[in-house]
Amino acid sequence: MPEAPQPSRKRGNTCDQPDGKHRLHWVARFVDGWRVYRKNTIGRIGIMLLGLFALMALASFIPPWVDPMYHPMTGVDPHISHSTGPSLRHWLGTDFIGRDIFSQLLAGARIAFMVGISSALISIFLGTTIGMVAGYAGRTTDVVLMRLADMIMVMPTLLVVLILAALFGQLNIWVIVLMIALFRWPGVARVIRSQTLSLRHRPFVEAARVAGASHLRILFRHILPHVMPLALLYMTFRVTSAIIIEAALAFLGFGDPGTVSWGMMLQWVWKTGHMFQAPYWLLPPGICISLITMAFYMTGRAMDDVLDPRLRSEETKA
Amino acid sequence: MGLRRFVLRRLVEIVVIFFVIMTVLFVLFRLAPGDPVARMVDPSMTPEDARLLMESMGLDQPLWTQYLYYLKNVATGNLGISFHYGEPVSRILMNRLPNTILLFTTAIVLSALLGVFLGKIAAWRREERIDTLMTIGALFCNTLFLPWLALIMIWFFAYWVGWFPITGMISPQVWIDPSAGPIRKTLDVLHHMALPLMTLIVTHFGSYLLVMRSSMLDTLKDDYIITARAKGLDEKTIRDHHAAPNAALPVVTSVGLSLAFSINGGALTETVFSWPGIGRELVFSVSHSDYPLAQAAFLLIAIVVLMANLVVDVLYAYLDPRIRY
Repeated sequence: MPEAPQPSRKRGNTCDQPDGKHRLHWVARFVDGWRVYRKNTIGRIGIMLLGLFALMALASFIPPWVDPMYHPMTGVDPHISHSTGPSLRHWLGTDFIGRDIFSQLLAGARIAFMVGISSALISIFLGTTIGMVAGYAGRTTDVVLMRLADMIMVMPTLLVVLILAALFGQLNIWVIVLMIALFRWPGVARVIRSQTLSLRHRPFVEAARVAGASHLRILFRHILPHVMPLALLYMTFRVTSAIIIEAALAFLGFGDPGTVSWGMMLQWVWKTGHMFQAPYWLLPPGICISLITMAFYMTGRAMDDVLDPRLRSEETKA
Repeated sequence: MGLRRFVLRRLVEIVVIFFVIMTVLFVLFRLAPGDPVARMVDPSMTPEDARLLMESMGLDQPLWTQYLYYLKNVATGNLGISFHYGEPVSRILMNRLPNTILLFTTAIVLSALLGVFLGKIAAWRREERIDTLMTIGALFCNTLFLPWLALIMIWFFAYWVGWFPITGMISPQVWIDPSAGPIRKTLDVLHHMALPLMTLIVTHFGSYLLVMRSSMLDTLKDDYIITARAKGLDEKTIRDHHAAPNAALPVVTSVGLSLAFSINGGALTETVFSWPGIGRELVFSVSHSDYPLAQAAFLLIAIVVLMANLVVDVLYAYLDPRIRY
């Protein structure tokens, strides 16, 4: 890998160089960041757990392919019509109508990734754009956007989505994803805005302006690369909150009835009154939700260490 | 400059925000598919009652008049009659409000105190085993899925060990019993409150611990801590009287920022433990299509969140005299 020569590139303010070198510089920064990241135990555990869940998500296609009775949603074991404990035939037992819990668990991983990542992508996109525009434009635009952000930030997302579910009936999983995203951008926007404010009057931005670059070009070509790492960091946290909100929604009985998510599995245990008799059914989904949240959170924290030189120096203190 | 002006300004802001929320809710209730009238008037009501109710809410008027009626009704607390309970929603919710406030405030205050206390120790003994343990423990607790933890709590403490009641807020036999004094009743409520409280504390103290720890680490580098050391003060005094009070300020901010999240958690906790609060009422009303109740519960929760935010802000301004708005 070619390495950029600047010693201070970790601090992320070395972009005042000709445009052509941006990509190389990005790669170098990434490699560099990864080197720091790898030393972080918490980060390593996080990545490993995520890998495990990714494997689960991939493996979720196998059971229904082996035998249609293992389909997480429609597959019912013809010989079982109630919840049974773990056996060779059903590794984690079956649910109240004889569906395989293990294959539901695998399918849940797929849904969790889907919900978490797509919702986080949307809210990061919204947050970054709105934050950059607010910070860059200043004045009324800034005030209006930030007031809007404040207003959305005080609302408890889960309950807002609940009310919408009451009004619009059963929500589709993509609508849920979109709803969560629409209510989770303000935090990102705030951070990106303050970062943009500090970048706005840096020499390289001023130079670009003098050279006649348009606002759009300044925003996306000169400011975006600097706020991108922070946006990525926030993405990990948004993934966790999206997964949790979807799971909670499903747990309360407002999930998409066409999908099997971990929250939905918990709802089935709870609502069908198997809570006390079926630990093999109660434990796995909850452990999975908690672990995947923890994995993303750990990854985020480790990334934070990579991005924040102040924290890193703490390791090297006397 | 003064605190009073700051509070006044925040109050005005809160009123504006509430106004917006109220309006959005009004629009949503009219915009959603289905008959808006059927959403506010119980279909099983006698025609005369239904007509009276419709008149009091202006449902037969043009839309903007309806909006004025709606504003007046929100201001006077006349938000319709619950389909399920057949009672005015304001009366139901006013019954539930103290329960929510009791559980919620206790949980927030206790978890913040616990977070500050443990975070202080973790930072003080940073990178020793106890610090690592606490940080990992906090991370772990922080990411536990709340409804699941609640179920596990019930399963273990209420079903397996049998120390606490499974759900609810009071045992009827204690409250019916005329010989039961206020002490016995209080103890009964506390007994029921233990598990939901524990669930909320376990899921909340972690983030406060982490905030406290990192803020305390920053504070320990400050000059006045070195001064305190130079004066020969003992370590405990420096930790508890010099560093901790200043380091605890960001925790207050973080409590404020996580309020919306905590309200979600509160609603989930109330639902699982059948704690008769507003959050549970909201979940219940949504799953039973009890629209007037859902609308009012949501508005009330919005007020609770906004007021709690105000309290946190004022507390912060009070605790940190450097802050003057």
